[in-house]
Amino acid sequence: MANVPMMSPALRTGLALAACGAVALLAGCGSSSSGKGGKTLGFAVVGWRTSVYETPYMDECPDGLAQGNDELWWKGVPPEERAMLTRDGTIEPVTGTRRAMSVLRGPKGEDVCWHPTSVKDPPLRVVEGDTSYGLDLDGDATGKGTPMSCPHVNFKSPDGRPGIDNQVYRILGCTYGWRRHGYIEDNANGERRDTSHGIVLIEVSGVDDPLNDEQVEVAFLKKFDGDTLPKDNRADVLPHATYRADPTPRYGGKARGRIVNGMLETDPIDVTLPFYGNLTHLPLVMKGMRMQLPVNKTERFVEGQIAGYQDLANFWDYIQRYEYLLVTGQFSCPGIYVAMKELADGYPDPKTGECTALSAAFTIRTVPAFIEHGDNEPSGVVKPVVTQVASTKDVASTKDGVKR
Amino acid sequence: MILTRTFARGWLGAFATAAVLTVLAGCAQREPDAAGPPPAMRRLTEQQYRNTIRDVFGPGISVVGRFDPLSREGGLMAVGASKASITPSGFERFGELAESIASQVVAPANRDYGLPCTPADAKAIDDACTRQIFSGTGRLLYRRALTEAELARFVALGDKVTTTLGDFYEGISFGLAAMLQSPEFLFVADVTEADPQAPGKMRLTAHARAARLSYFLWDSTPDDALLAAAEKGELDGGDGLATQTRRLLESPRLEHGVRAFFSDLLTLDAFDHMQKDAAIYPSFGLTVADDAREQLLRTIVQHLLVEGEDYRELFTTRRAPVSGALGMIYQMPVKDPNGWTEVEFPKDSPYRGIVTLPGFSALHSHAGRSSPTLRGRAVRELLMCQRVPDPPSNIDFTQFNNASTTKASTARERLDIHNTEKTCASCHKIVDPIGLALEHFDGAAQFRTVENAVKIDTRGELDGVKYEDAAGLGEALAKSPAVTQCVVNRALAYARGTSVGKTDNEMVSWLHAKFESDGYRLRGLFETIATSEAFYAVSAPKADPGATPPANTAALEAAASPENRS
Repeated sequence: MANVPMMSPALRTGLALAACGAVALLAGCGSSSSGKGGKTLGFAVVGWRTSVYETPYMDECPDGLAQGNDELWWKGVPPEERAMLTRDGTIEPVTGTRRAMSVLRGPKGEDVCWHPTSVKDPPLRVVEGDTSYGLDLDGDATGKGTPMSCPHVNFKSPDGRPGIDNQVYRILGCTYGWRRHGYIEDNANGERRDTSHGIVLIEVSGVDDPLNDEQVEVAFLKKFDGDTLPKDNRADVLPHATYRADPTPRYGGKARGRIVNGMLETDPIDVTLPFYGNLTHLPLVMKGMRMQLPVNKTERFVEGQIAGYQDLANFWDYIQRYEYLLVTGQFSCPGIYVAMKELADGYPDPKTGECTALSAAFTIRTVPAFIEHGDNEPSGVVKPVVTQVASTKDVASTKDGVKR
Repeated sequence: MILTRTFARGWLGAFATAAVLTVLAGCAQREPDAAGPPPAMRRLTEQQYRNTIRDVFGPGISVVGRFDPLSREGGLMAVGASKASITPSGFERFGELAESIASQVVAPANRDYGLPCTPADAKAIDDACTRQIFSGTGRLLYRRALTEAELARFVALGDKVTTTLGDFYEGISFGLAAMLQSPEFLFVADVTEADPQAPGKMRLTAHARAARLSYFLWDSTPDDALLAAAEKGELDGGDGLATQTRRLLESPRLEHGVRAFFSDLLTLDAFDHMQKDAAIYPSFGLTVADDAREQLLRTIVQHLLVEGEDYRELFTTRRAPVSGALGMIYQMPVKDPNGWTEVEFPKDSPYRGIVTLPGFSALHSHAGRSSPTLRGRAVRELLMCQRVPDPPSNIDFTQFNNASTTKASTARERLDIHNTEKTCASCHKIVDPIGLALEHFDGAAQFRTVENAVKIDTRGELDGVKYEDAAGLGEALAKSPAVTQCVVNRALAYARGTSVGKTDNEMVSWLHAKFESDGYRLRGLFETIATSEAFYAVSAPKADPGATPPANTAALEAAASPENRS
């Protein structure tokens, strides 16, 4: 059991139960005693969504939703070819043919998700609104940039805090697949729930007071994929299950944190988190990641926020691998590629000055859980995966060349 | 009031009798004489059927099918099995099961385990091999050697099918299927013979003694060694019987017998149709229900068999295995989310004794809330063998059920209102103080200290012994002579498949005295029963003018005969 060394398993489990009685009733979460002092709280992240702030009339997207790959392709198809594909407009283009043709629409038949600069699409319709979820990651409300960020336009939070950094929202916020009820996020969450894969565990240790504690330690862990998420008859994940932490060093990290009025806040860390969705295993590489999570709630599900800079190459990998969702997600690789390069706002390359990461925010849904480490302690060492992407100079500009 | 007096008088009388008899029996070293019940035929229980198939054909044979339910009599299905019939649809299902099992036994993957020989030509008749298979398997299934006529019929059937289909194993499959739906297999019969030691009296045949012993201790058919001992006359008593009993008691198969006994005693079959309100107890799904039953049985087996501890300590033990699913009910971490973790709860833990396990407290609750009454009644009836009358049919439950109008927050408050009815109070006052001690466990056995924001009061009383909570109830049960008397009573009834009556009082007291002197060890109790004369004693069947002549059996036999199989 976590953090209760030098005792028999039975006794340790028994003691954990006693601790749980005290803390779980107060905090409503999976908890156990910690041999290092204080209690340990555990959570399983059972919902993970890109935070997208939506207004009732979609004011944040004045030009409408982003054009999907099919739409862009179709606009480029000559009338005679359209007639052939639709038998003079009497049928829809055959799905297989259409899908191949729409993706391989480079001038030499290139796959535009793997060769995004082979075509020059119209600029991506990005978020133009001034409000977003997220955090002020660079501590700069002016948008001029800091040593850790490039100049960019900040958002304000829904409750009016300035300096919110969330360029992933700016890029994806007007694309159907990532908006509320969009296929990409809904399906990914469903698959994680159904397969129990790609689940993040959060372990908060050294908790002396779940309402206010100036110093706690927070571990981000990968759940062992073999441990199933138990669900009720509505397929909602049940609380207070035990999960084993996957000792794979690739994932996870530890951060210092504090609890203020029941809200846990962590200091920034660089971390790689497990991610699974839409049949794709894809580690999420984050720099300067922070979390806010209420830990004094008694509800079964508690929502929190994870924000940080997503490595640019990792973000592009994510988009590329979702190529098969171009239609259901209604997005276009070249448009996102260009926007991504232009809107990157974090971690400037010391040599080129170009930013290598995108500020991002994710809404997480957690349930109380117990975390079992077995004989292996999770690794806190994380090496972000960095791959090379093309320079901004190689790609066309977004809508008006203004970096938002 | 009349009910109360009668009820109390009955209990006091039973206690007084038991106490006197215990003293008497304690002085006497010799087993009291017992006439024994009339011989009976008992339909195999579902678990006996499954255990037998596994022990005869190996664990690779899957038994997939539904079984006609048995009724519970005298608190036990083992007793109700002697009153069971087989309905036409039930017989049809036994037929389907038989064919499924037989085809699996002869399947290439299993035939090396299940069949003792290989034919010279798999497409042709091999009489020697056929006889070897049917005689060996038939002996285990029928719990006796087949008669030459029976064997000849099965061989003829096998040969006919082999010739017709050109497949030796098809012939074997047909023969095995015929055996498996024969009443000789489906019913364990108390076959009797004249007792040469007691002219004019009957006794069980050696094979019937073997079957009784085996189904008591193993919940399964006798193995070859036990049948061989029976055929040598070693089960008639003395060292031979003691040797075989000890062998069975030392076998791993004893666990099956112990599980079957306690499943019956604790009515764990109720889990098969237990439902919890998913909106109130979302965590209590099918997996939790299965694990709750398994946890209770594992706790019992570990305590009584593996560790050989005192039966009374089952009610105070702080140890229990916890599965991943049950961990959610306990709201505690487990070492292995996909397996079982042995847990010793802290001394101040509310979880103490088997009545605090979900397998008891959740089982004896309503779908959406706990029930002190159901729990108290279960303790009285299942653990103390005391009969609690059913409520009168004209009881008005509205006051009890409508907590909003009565402003009652806890079960105790609701029951207090309910108990203003004299007819209700007479029974409730003997069961509710038991169940109220378990109110820290909700209907899904999850720990709580308040109900509807009101602190739960778990004080209670068991036959004059007062306690504060579930731990105190466990202590009281452990000290109650009715609890140990009850398990002796039920063990004897279960072993013989017949209710224990007044004529058995002396025997029960003698067994209890032995049980007590042995430190309340279950294995010792089982050994005493299994080597007692009373266990095997039978009396002449009573004439029943209304009884149907044995035409039913004959019809079943005819229906199952090889000639009638298509």
